[in-house]
Amino acid sequence: MKRISHVAIAPWLTLVARLLLGGVLLVAGYLKTTNPAQAAASVRVYRVLPTGLANVFGYALPWIEIGIALLLVLGIWVRYSAVAGGGLMLLFIIAIGQAWARKLAINCGCFGNGGVSADGKVHPGVYLAEMLRDLGLVLVAAYLYRFPRGKFAIDRISEEFTEG
Amino acid sequence: MAEKKNEPNQKKNTNKGGAAGKNKGKDNGTRNLVIGMILLVVLAGAGSAIAKNRTNTHAALPSDVSVSEGYGISFNPKAPVKLDVYEDFQCPNCRNFEAVNGNYINSLVRAKKMHVVFHPINILGPESGLTSAASACASDQGKFLEYHMALYKNQPTAENSGYWTNEKLALIGHSIGITSAKFDTCINTGQYTKWAANVEADAAAKNINSTPTVLLNGKPIPPQDQLNLAGLKNLFKAAGVK
Repeated sequence: MKRISHVAIAPWLTLVARLLLGGVLLVAGYLKTTNPAQAAASVRVYRVLPTGLANVFGYALPWIEIGIALLLVLGIWVRYSAVAGGGLMLLFIIAIGQAWARKLAINCGCFGNGGVSADGKVHPGVYLAEMLRDLGLVLVAAYLYRFPRGKFAIDRISEEFTEG
Repeated sequence: MAEKKNEPNQKKNTNKGGAAGKNKGKDNGTRNLVIGMILLVVLAGAGSAIAKNRTNTHAALPSDVSVSEGYGISFNPKAPVKLDVYEDFQCPNCRNFEAVNGNYINSLVRAKKMHVVFHPINILGPESGLTSAASACASDQGKFLEYHMALYKNQPTAENSGYWTNEKLALIGHSIGITSAKFDTCINTGQYTKWAANVEADAAAKNINSTPTVLLNGKPIPPQDQLNLAGLKNLFKAAGVK
């Protein structure tokens, strides 16, 4: 692993990035745990997975998001957690993109009831907004992959003890 | 996902290697403890969410339920034309559907002219589940249609705002003439909570993703046709409703 000492600001940026990606995952995951039925439905609407599998994934996904979020916020295995979080975002981008291409009305459950097309109409802006937000988070994850060492991380404490 | 599965192994490895190895045991111990707790939260949460949303074959069933029809409240199973209504009592579009077509559909049910199956699902949150379960209590009292309409007439503007409580749901029942103490008990004990979860699990398995989803002989009525009573009547007639 490359060392990035002498860059005073990097650990702070890493902390911000961790809180950003972790915070989004934590909120998104938490909101979905309060309504597993909708979480499952919001996976089904993409019509990627068979219904049964989509349901299992939909029920489990909020908890996976919370798990990754906690690892990021606490600073554990930051590199791998960032890959997992960024990977999820990439999955979402692909899912939204294919839904857009197939003109599937999506009702993304990411934040409560956002991006609704209850009347069956397709609004390109909805897809675009979701994809851009997720793309932003992929970039945050990429930064964390490159600069995983940050302030107030459990990883960091372990390393400092090791080095000292 | 793959990373999660590796956690226990890695934990064991660092525990064994860590104490005798180059890392100080105490710190890795703390980290592993935190990782273990996170893993536990994820597995317990995901596991219970998956388990909760499976069909429970021991669930208490209200009257007029048809297990083979997705645990829906089923009227006139012998009538030739079938209507499935997947709805959520908290959903504004479902309220609109009921406001436009409720009287007509209820009259068809009462005249035994149509096979109508109501699937009150929970897609909008906890208070949807409460109202669904309460509607089954009303079904036991032979007042499903009346209660169904009263729930929509009293639908608050905000979802899951604390408006739907057991007390409120009982009062709605009393307002339409339900007097039996069994009804109140049914609501207060959550007698049909598991049944409501079964209705939802069936809808999930059938890929019902929004409410209202209205199927005429199994074929969805497009959303733009749902709020047009004259059009709906024509659709029904074309399907053979007299």
